[in-house]
Amino acid sequence: MRKRSATVALTLMGAAFALSGCKEDQTEASSFPNAAACKAQVEQGSLAFTAEDCDAAFAQAQADHNETAPRYDALAVCEEQHGAGNCEQQAQPGGGFSFMPLLAGMLIGQMLGGRGGFMSQPLSRTADGRYATPGGTKVATNTGKGPMNATAFNKAPSTIGKPPMTQADAMRRGGFGSSGAARSTMGG
Amino acid sequence: MREPTPNPIWDLTRAFRFGPTVFMEKISLTPRADQREAETGFTFAEMHGEPYWDETSAYRFTLEEIETRIEDPATELHGMCREAVDRIVKDERLMDRMGIPPGFRDLVATSWRSFAPEVYGRMDLAYDGGDAKLLEYNADTPTSLYETASFQWQWLEDQIKAGVLPEGADQFNGLHEALAERFRELFPANTDIHFAAAAGNAEDYATVEAMAWAAREGGMGAHYTDLEKIGLSAEGQFLDAEDRVIGTLFKLYPWEDIFRDEFGAAIVPSGARFIEPPWKALVSNKAILPVLWEMFEGHPNLLPAFFLNDVAGALRDGTGGSPLFDRARDALKAGHVVKPIFSREGSSIDILENGRPLETATDRAYDDHPKVVQAYVPLPVFDGFRPVLGAWIVGETCAGLGIREDRARITQDLSRFKPHFIQG
Repeated sequence: MRKRSATVALTLMGAAFALSGCKEDQTEASSFPNAAACKAQVEQGSLAFTAEDCDAAFAQAQADHNETAPRYDALAVCEEQHGAGNCEQQAQPGGGFSFMPLLAGMLIGQMLGGRGGFMSQPLSRTADGRYATPGGTKVATNTGKGPMNATAFNKAPSTIGKPPMTQADAMRRGGFGSSGAARSTMGG
Repeated sequence: MREPTPNPIWDLTRAFRFGPTVFMEKISLTPRADQREAETGFTFAEMHGEPYWDETSAYRFTLEEIETRIEDPATELHGMCREAVDRIVKDERLMDRMGIPPGFRDLVATSWRSFAPEVYGRMDLAYDGGDAKLLEYNADTPTSLYETASFQWQWLEDQIKAGVLPEGADQFNGLHEALAERFRELFPANTDIHFAAAAGNAEDYATVEAMAWAAREGGMGAHYTDLEKIGLSAEGQFLDAEDRVIGTLFKLYPWEDIFRDEFGAAIVPSGARFIEPPWKALVSNKAILPVLWEMFEGHPNLLPAFFLNDVAGALRDGTGGSPLFDRARDALKAGHVVKPIFSREGSSIDILENGRPLETATDRAYDDHPKVVQAYVPLPVFDGFRPVLGAWIVGETCAGLGIREDRARITQDLSRFKPHFIQG
C-alpha cells in the first residue's frame, strides 16, 4: 500500500486564506449619512429602492442604534473607541448617565433569497476615522457602495438596561504573544 | 498495552540485530533544478545563511523498517501519552510538577475529560536501526509541517519523474491527506477556523498555511490572523484582525506561553475551541518523560527518565534514589541529558557522559525552568551529520516522517531538513 498522499496540491504565500473569504453570502450595500442623502440618490434613479425605503430603513437604523449601540460609563472611554466629539450623554433607565456614540449614518442592503425588501444597520464613528455597525462591521465611508457580507446586517445584542462598559470592558488587543516574544519561532 | 518489563536492561546490542544492510542509509542523489523554490514560495530554504533544505542526499528506508520501527511504535507511544495524561489530570501534585499554573489546571483537565480532540504532533525519535527511542514529543506547536507534508512529497514525485529514483519508490508521508480527513471528521462542513501565528516569521507561517490547506481540503473555511492582532471583545469573545469573532482557533503558540499572557484568563469565558486542546500542554512537556518511564518502565521505545529534583543527589554521589532509579542507574551514569520541561530549539540542554559535559547548549534561556534527566542515546552519524526522525501524529495515528539533521548533538534551529524515500 502506498505510504504517501495521492496529491498535495498546495503552494504557499497566502492562497489558502485568500480564497476562503468569498464563501459568505454577499449583498449589494450602500451607506448614507442620513435619509435625505439616500433620497437624493433615489431621485437620480441610480438605486434599486424608493424614497419610502430610505425613510423606513433609516427609522429602523435609528431604532437599532438606540437599542444596540455600545454604552460606556465615561465620556473618555466612549471617545477612546469612537473619537473625540463623537459621543453623547444618555440618561440610564434606572438613573444616572451613560455615554454612547452618535448615530453617523446607516448601511442599507437588499435582502437575500429573492425576498425583496431591505435591511439596514446604524453606523457610528470609530477611533481610526472609519464607520462601524454595533455588530462590528467596519466601512471606510458613510457615502459608499459595494458588495458586503450579508452577516453585516445581523442585529447586535441589546445594550439597554445592561451595565455600561468600563475601561476594562472595552475591546482590547495584543493580549497574546508577549510570553513568547523573545524566541525566533513559537513552534519547534 | 504491554506490561512493564520487571527488570529492564539498557540494551544497546538491539541496535545491531538487523545488521548494517537493512537499516536507514544516506544516499547521494542528483538535486533537482533549483527553480522549484521560487515556484512554491518556500521562503526559508536558507536560514541564517545556512542551507535549510538540502537534497544532495536523502535517507532511504525499507517499507518494513518504516512500518515496524517508526510508524507502529509512534502510534503506540501516542496511546501511552494519552494514558499518562489521564493519570496526570487526576493528580494535583503531578500537575504542579508539570508546571501548569494553578489557575489553568481546570482548563487542562476539563479539556481532557470532555474529549477535546487532538489534531497533530511530532515525536522526535533517535533511530539507528534498532528500537526508535522517544527523545521528546512536540505535541502542541510542531513546525516543519510544510517541508514534511508538501515540499519533500514534491521532491519525491519530481525525482521519480526525472528517473533519479525508481518508479516504485515511495515515502512515508500521508500527512496532508490525514490532516484533511481529521478536519472532516472533527468539524461540520464549512466550519470557520482561524489560524494564528506570530507576525513576521516565515517558518511558523509556512506550518500554519500548510495546516490551513489541509483544513480547506477537509471542507473548512480558513482565515488567517497574526497572533498579536487578536482582540478581545467587550462580550469576551476573541476577534481576528478584522473584528470577526473567532469560534475555533488553530494557534501556533504554546500553551505554557498562553498561560502567562494577558489573554490567558480570557480563554475559558471566550467559549472558543482551540487546536491543539489545552491538555496538550501535558504532552508537549518534557515532564511527561519521567511519568511515561514510571508507567511503562522498560518499554523498548522509551529512555529512562526522571525529574531532576528526585535524582540529583543520587546522580551526584550515588546515594538515595528509588528502586526505579536503581534499575536505571548504570544507564544514566554512562550518559544523560538534562532538559528544561518547556525548552524549545535545544535551549538550556546539557549532555553529560560519565559525569562530564559532552555538549552544552549555548542558549540558556530556559535555565530557570524545572528540569528532567533522560538517559543519553547517541544519534547515529552520517557524513558528519546526526539525524533526528520526526514521526508525525495525526489524530491518534502516525501518518508521516520528516528528518532534520545537525552537526551538533543537540538539534537546534540551525538544523537542516532532509528528504527520505522508501525502497525495498
